[in-house]
Amino acid sequence: MSKKDIESALARGVEILDEFLPLRTTLYFPILYSACVWAVRRVFDYRERILAWQVWLDPEAVLTKPDEFILHFFSADEALRRAYAAELASRDMKALRAAFPALYPVRGLEDAFLKALFKKELAAGDYRKIAAEFAARAAKARDDIRPAAADARFWAALENLGAELAALGIHLLSDEDVEKAVIRAVKKKAAKGAQGG
Amino acid sequence: MMTGAGTHGTWRRGGPGLAAVAAALALLLSPACLTHLRNAKAAYTEAQELSQQYRTDKAVAAYKRALAEASLEAAKNPSAQAFMLKGMAEANLELWREAETSFVKAAGLGFGDGEAWASDVSLLGLARSFEELGFREPSLRAYENLLGKSSFKPVRLAAAERYADLTLARALALADAERARALADLVRTIERLEAADFACGYYHYLHAQAEGHRGGFRRGYEEAVMARELGLPSEKVLRDNDNQVVFCYDKLAASSDAAERAALETAHAAWAKKWGWKDARTPGWKTA
Repeated sequence: MSKKDIESALARGVEILDEFLPLRTTLYFPILYSACVWAVRRVFDYRERILAWQVWLDPEAVLTKPDEFILHFFSADEALRRAYAAELASRDMKALRAAFPALYPVRGLEDAFLKALFKKELAAGDYRKIAAEFAARAAKARDDIRPAAADARFWAALENLGAELAALGIHLLSDEDVEKAVIRAVKKKAAKGAQGG
Repeated sequence: MMTGAGTHGTWRRGGPGLAAVAAALALLLSPACLTHLRNAKAAYTEAQELSQQYRTDKAVAAYKRALAEASLEAAKNPSAQAFMLKGMAEANLELWREAETSFVKAAGLGFGDGEAWASDVSLLGLARSFEELGFREPSLRAYENLLGKSSFKPVRLAAAERYADLTLARALALADAERARALADLVRTIERLEAADFACGYYHYLHAQAEGHRGGFRRGYEEAVMARELGLPSEKVLRDNDNQVVFCYDKLAASSDAAERAALETAHAAWAKKWGWKDARTPGWKTA
């Protein structure tokens, strides 16, 4: 496996996104990262996989949870326990229930697209920001991705990219390395754009 | 929710004359007709197999292929079989209104269960509309009605999911005694569904969720384990069920004495190993 080849493939991925989703640069990382996650698992039905996060917001699973489950969700996870220590100590179910619908799909169910969409906040442990902005940002992402999602060529291009990444051995990289490589590719494109390239 | 196929209905046998049979056979055996019908059946069978293996996304793609082929067949050579296949593919893709129309046409062409299935998908669509408009009680009654009478599995599963979720949401707002009664009723309903189709992992998943609400952590744990073993219809439900396993396991372990806890830990460690979990509390898909 050559890291250089993978980085070239990712750069082509950014070009594909730039072609189908011009000016929607905030979506590049979540789409490319989730494409890599599924390439690692050698699953290439990208359309359903990448758009799955939209379905994940709907109640196909039973998302009406009892207080005990919500308390367990916040207290069993060290980062959430720290972020919501005051609410947990006072058993403030109103506040915890308000944050749960945003944090459970991201942190509890770990959807790849949503994780990447809130990567900055997750890395900073800013769960309150995720809870506050989840509905608006998820709705915006849903609207922004719509033009490309309707184009079969977009999914075919992503699928080819995934197959190429798998053939290059992306599964041999750690999640962290994949994430870093995707970020580098997206940043490189942004820098090129800023220089008018 | 994408599900497996429902039961096949019976076919009415009419009395067409020999010439008509010969003409129909000639038409059916023509290469173009055979191709669409055969392709539709092949894609539908493939979708069912994928669905049974819980490879949901690929199953959806196969149902879409089945729908495209059945639509071509129905347009070229309208028959009960073509419309039934079209309706079943639509129902599995949750295109309820289209499925209703297809089943009505299938019934008109001699498919015995067509009218009942059309009525079921129509009622499901109505229940969903009520729910979207905020009329919870009529939607709950409609879902409950479907659970009691529908012989069409995709409808029964979709109704069970919404019925359970709405009942749990309503129970949360009730006083303790009333909530206990509402949850006991829900568990009885789910047990009836399990009795009729014990191998359906989704019903055990719903059972585990209901037990979690009424503090039945041992039963909830057992039902969630059974759901995982029997299989679940999507990655999302599977992950939620894994979280339920961990939740019930933690609650049980915390309330057990040393001997009980040791037995629970041993049993749970065996399941976790079988499922490829990282440890007793970390499913394989979890990174955080």
